[in-house]
Amino acid sequence: MSFIAKKNAATQRANATSEERIALARPTLLQRLTRWLGLDNKSSLYRYAHDPRFGYISESRVADKWTKTTCGYCSVGCGMLIGTKEGRPVAARGNPDHPVNLGKLCPKGLSEHLIVEAPGRATQPMLRRNGRRSPLEPVSWDEALDVMVNRIGYIQQRYGRESLGVISTGQLLTEEFYTLGKLVQLGFRTSNYDGNTTLCMASAVSGYKLSFGSDGPPGAYADMDTADVVLLIGANIADNHPILCNRLRKRPGQLLIVVDPRVTKTAMMADMHLPVKPRSDIALINGIAHILLRDGLIDRNYLEQHAEGLDAFISFVADYTPEVVSETAGLSVAVLESVAGLYGHAKSAFIGWTMGVNHSTQGAMTVAAINNLSLLTGNIGRPGSSPFSITGQCNAMGSREASFTSSLPGYRKFESAEDREELAQLWNVNASELPAKRGFAYPDIIEASVRGEVKALWIIATNPVVSFPNHNLLKQAFDTADFIVVQDGFYPTPTMEYADLVLPAAIWGEKEGTYTNSERRVSKVNAFAVPPAEARSDFDIFLAIAERLGVRDRIYPGWSSTQDAWLEWQRVSAGRMCDYSSFTWQQVEDEGGIQWGGERLYRDGIFPRANGRALLHCVPCVPFAEQPDAEFDFILNTGRTVEHWHTRTKTGQVKLLDAMVPNAWLEMNPVDAERLSLRQHDRITVTSRRASVPDVELRITGIVAPGQVFMPFHFAEHNSNLVTLGDFDPISREPNYKQCAVRVERTSWN
Amino acid sequence: MDTDSAELVRLTLLEGGASPQLVASLIPSRPLEEGEQYRFHFDMTKCIGCRSCEVACNEQNGNPADIKWRRVGELEGGVYPHVSRTYLSMGCNHCISADCLKGCPVDAYTKDPITGIVMHSADACIGCQYCVWNCPYSVPQFNPERGVVGKCDMCRERLLDNREPACVNACPENAIQIEIVNKIAWTEDYSLAESPGMPAAGQTISTTRITLPQSSTAATAWLDRVDTGSIALEHAHPSLVVMTTAMQASFGLLCGLALVRNVDAVSLLLLLLVTAAALNVSVFHLGRPAYAWRALKMWRRSWLSREVLCFTLFFGFVAAATLCAWTPLFPWHLSMQRLVSPLAWAAIASGAAGTYASASIYLVKARPSWNMVHTPLDFFLSSALVGIPLLSVLARPALIITELLRRHGLEVARPHFTLYPRLLAITACLWIVNQLVRVARLRVSAIFEHRASFHHLRGEQLWWCVALSWICALQAILFLFAPLHWMALLSLLAATAAVLLNRYLFFVSVVPLSMGLTFIRDRGTHGRAAA
Repeated sequence: MSFIAKKNAATQRANATSEERIALARPTLLQRLTRWLGLDNKSSLYRYAHDPRFGYISESRVADKWTKTTCGYCSVGCGMLIGTKEGRPVAARGNPDHPVNLGKLCPKGLSEHLIVEAPGRATQPMLRRNGRRSPLEPVSWDEALDVMVNRIGYIQQRYGRESLGVISTGQLLTEEFYTLGKLVQLGFRTSNYDGNTTLCMASAVSGYKLSFGSDGPPGAYADMDTADVVLLIGANIADNHPILCNRLRKRPGQLLIVVDPRVTKTAMMADMHLPVKPRSDIALINGIAHILLRDGLIDRNYLEQHAEGLDAFISFVADYTPEVVSETAGLSVAVLESVAGLYGHAKSAFIGWTMGVNHSTQGAMTVAAINNLSLLTGNIGRPGSSPFSITGQCNAMGSREASFTSSLPGYRKFESAEDREELAQLWNVNASELPAKRGFAYPDIIEASVRGEVKALWIIATNPVVSFPNHNLLKQAFDTADFIVVQDGFYPTPTMEYADLVLPAAIWGEKEGTYTNSERRVSKVNAFAVPPAEARSDFDIFLAIAERLGVRDRIYPGWSSTQDAWLEWQRVSAGRMCDYSSFTWQQVEDEGGIQWGGERLYRDGIFPRANGRALLHCVPCVPFAEQPDAEFDFILNTGRTVEHWHTRTKTGQVKLLDAMVPNAWLEMNPVDAERLSLRQHDRITVTSRRASVPDVELRITGIVAPGQVFMPFHFAEHNSNLVTLGDFDPISREPNYKQCAVRVERTSWN
Repeated sequence: MDTDSAELVRLTLLEGGASPQLVASLIPSRPLEEGEQYRFHFDMTKCIGCRSCEVACNEQNGNPADIKWRRVGELEGGVYPHVSRTYLSMGCNHCISADCLKGCPVDAYTKDPITGIVMHSADACIGCQYCVWNCPYSVPQFNPERGVVGKCDMCRERLLDNREPACVNACPENAIQIEIVNKIAWTEDYSLAESPGMPAAGQTISTTRITLPQSSTAATAWLDRVDTGSIALEHAHPSLVVMTTAMQASFGLLCGLALVRNVDAVSLLLLLLVTAAALNVSVFHLGRPAYAWRALKMWRRSWLSREVLCFTLFFGFVAAATLCAWTPLFPWHLSMQRLVSPLAWAAIASGAAGTYASASIYLVKARPSWNMVHTPLDFFLSSALVGIPLLSVLARPALIITELLRRHGLEVARPHFTLYPRLLAITACLWIVNQLVRVARLRVSAIFEHRASFHHLRGEQLWWCVALSWICALQAILFLFAPLHWMALLSLLAATAAVLLNRYLFFVSVVPLSMGLTFIRDRGTHGRAAA
């Protein structure tokens, strides 16, 4: 630790409050005396200088070298330049040449260089020698990996190979996802492997598969520039993907419609905001389809050539009359007619969505319903026209494509013998070694652990203790598990309380490879720093484990760097929909990222289903499971804020961001607050059938509807997932974070 | 993977490939003409509240995480779903009639003759923080690491290089721009500087132009600050609490000595010691105490300079009077005792002026609950409230010292003291009445900051302090009427406690004018406000 403190003194200075800086300086007696007298002995630290490229700026931010890379927060995938001085990061800038962000960054990106040398980094392997009650103690890498392989080996021997569950992330490099997938399936030989992407984008994946036969977001960001109508459903991009906002409101005549029960920052940008009742989005979408069909605002030609299921669909949406939908969604008939008319008449219409749609037990089907609208109007495969999932994590897409979680690498299907055979040949293994069906998804791994089927857990770069719904069940799973390994770039994370072994990993900025963003753009990620102390890149850790399992030569023949994984991944993805074979790392870097599949998919209207046609699904609108009642009278909605990222393992370390929003809050409508005699800033307790979160700051605001409350999910200290519902989409297995019944009371301390 | 090519890091300037229209809309494309200056334009309809500008500003200036020269605030209004939430992003408003500049005792501020930017010199600054009190937008911020104040300078050097300021460059929505404004035309009509969540622009003639959402809907018409329920207590400035109390006590004591015609050598010496201590303490209010002498510089303009000047004169006259009073004892028989009285009266005059200047420091528009007649009243009444018992209490040591000196054959005038219980009772009553009226006026005031100060005072953090202060003031009377020894001392302690507590409350409970901030935020080290 002292090593880190020493090395990081200057950057910690950049990432500190004034009081912390005073404490950090450890002045000599003479300095103390001169400061006490009032001589300005700090002026040199506040000097300005002329950066040859950026111009006049604080001398502390003048870099001697700039490294191109891609942002490691959300999956907008902004191009960045990280300035280093004598090898230490001092500045983050948007890359003006990058087509995604044209030089702009959000506050997280602008301060991202600070996380590399942030105080909370994991620096050495840690082991609990005597069970969970004993402390984590530093151990050598050799011992750590031996313990890991031996313990997991013992458990697998005793309870079967599938007793190991692996939960990864959307934060690694594509090359690392590819490497990890092989390690889990061919090294540890368990199929119970999933990413935290199931908590976030799984519904989009499943929805695309339902309608089009394959995953793969069909559109591009450029469509947001050119569309006549942009319809955002359950997507608060101003908080969550702020750099996409500058594509909107630019073109005269473009219409922005935002569907959200809460008056979000994004809703404030909209020309029309549709404040729907929670989970009435399906009714709204079906209602629009009803009007489109009624008024003939559909592309009959497109439907005849490229879709199927129209007849069944027509009779299905016949029931979704404007009057019925008006009642369900809480919108007036006039608004419904107007929105449907605007969407139907648009030359190009774009539908974007994020977690408002995905975080639902009907997420996959809602996505299919959205796809229906695009198919009906032929708004797919053309400029400005697409259904489009705006992804969460920087490399959730890489995980979807290259890992072994929701499909075999390269969007190959587990169920397809042909796909398995092809992959086995590419890898020079026996096809029988590849699973014929997907193993447990994330929530099923947790439930299997509670049942005792999964005994060992390997958790990589994710923080389930804060991010998994219904925390009590997760705690039970962790308490029951025999052996838990947590591999992360930060220490301690809340999840490490349950870890038997902690592996310190390198993070963004210390590794080289690629990320793939929401619009399928493969972008280069470069290293500008070395991992702190003993931390090692995830790739190195995977190789070392493979070595110990005795499979390294077999699954990673001749590999030494992520470049080797990239080259093999190129061969494996060649000819697939997500084809990475046509560009090199260098090209990706030079061109500011390259979209696999071109600017947009399905330009020819041929879909990867058996008959080449997309399928219109009949999606019933079912009310969400846990409706409010007399005892739990509020609907709790959860979400994010622009200053923080997921569970704050990263942004919590950036002082500036943390000071902007240091704690959670609960939003409540003034009408409800008055009824409950609550006042602004009161400390309140949110209680559901599962648990309660005490001491949350109350924000009384008109941006939430009466009967609904909203809480951000970033904060371990006020963990919204103590109360959220552990209910999952039957298709995508994505949790229903967005609606559960709670009650709110003033916190009492007795 | 690495790059050294020059075109990689550039702004949205022309050579960076940005369209000429965009660049022209972000920074002025022509030089300033006579009578013009630069200003910010903030477009509230474009801002999405992402706060990139805040981060960019801190990175640009290498500031600590808790000091933000650019801040984003939230405004809200309306009823769901017809509700509006908008954002304010503000640096310095580079006012035409800047109060920070007018108050500065060391002339650290200049209104740049070329650009009109209000600039602050960290080299000249002594860290007195008077500008922090004067600015209606709470723009200047004290940096304890350096001991000086700092503020937004519109990235002047960047502008002169034809580059955008950091905030302008960072804003993904181009909601912040630099424009040229004609100063005379703007002084005549600055209505476009007004916005909900901002103090009235007229006080200093803020130059920032704010584009508001169309006020056609009820939601935007009702836009208001969201941060008013969590206003933190202000800094207590303990050295100022002690200094003002001690200086007022010194002044009160000298008045007392003069009035009872007892300006003797020993009393003067004791008075001199109290004054010297007070002045020394005051220096440690400054971020850079070694440069305290610079505070004399702007006596023509700054009340702070005038206070320093008057109290320096007060000290000088008291010292001279003391010296003169002691001359009979000196071996060369040069008695200057005739001068003692005129010098004492000169000291009283400068003390009165100093106390008035001291009070005037706090009569700033940007701090409404200081800017009341009760402030000078309090300062003078406090002088009396502490001065009267001090006069009585000093009797004993003065007499003892005099006796000692006489025993050693040194002829000094024998001081004579009496208690003045009625005078003290009247003073204490007036002092309490002044406080009561002040608090009552704060409570019923139409000004938000007044009411917010009242809420601070009656809140759970401060109410007991208010009560204790008033009880002490009453005790000061009661002790004096009690037939006991040492009662004068107890009375003095009670009176001093009353004034110290009250002065502490005066500093912490003030609610400055400020732009609206965010609802959730770090409320700093001064603790949370009691609602």
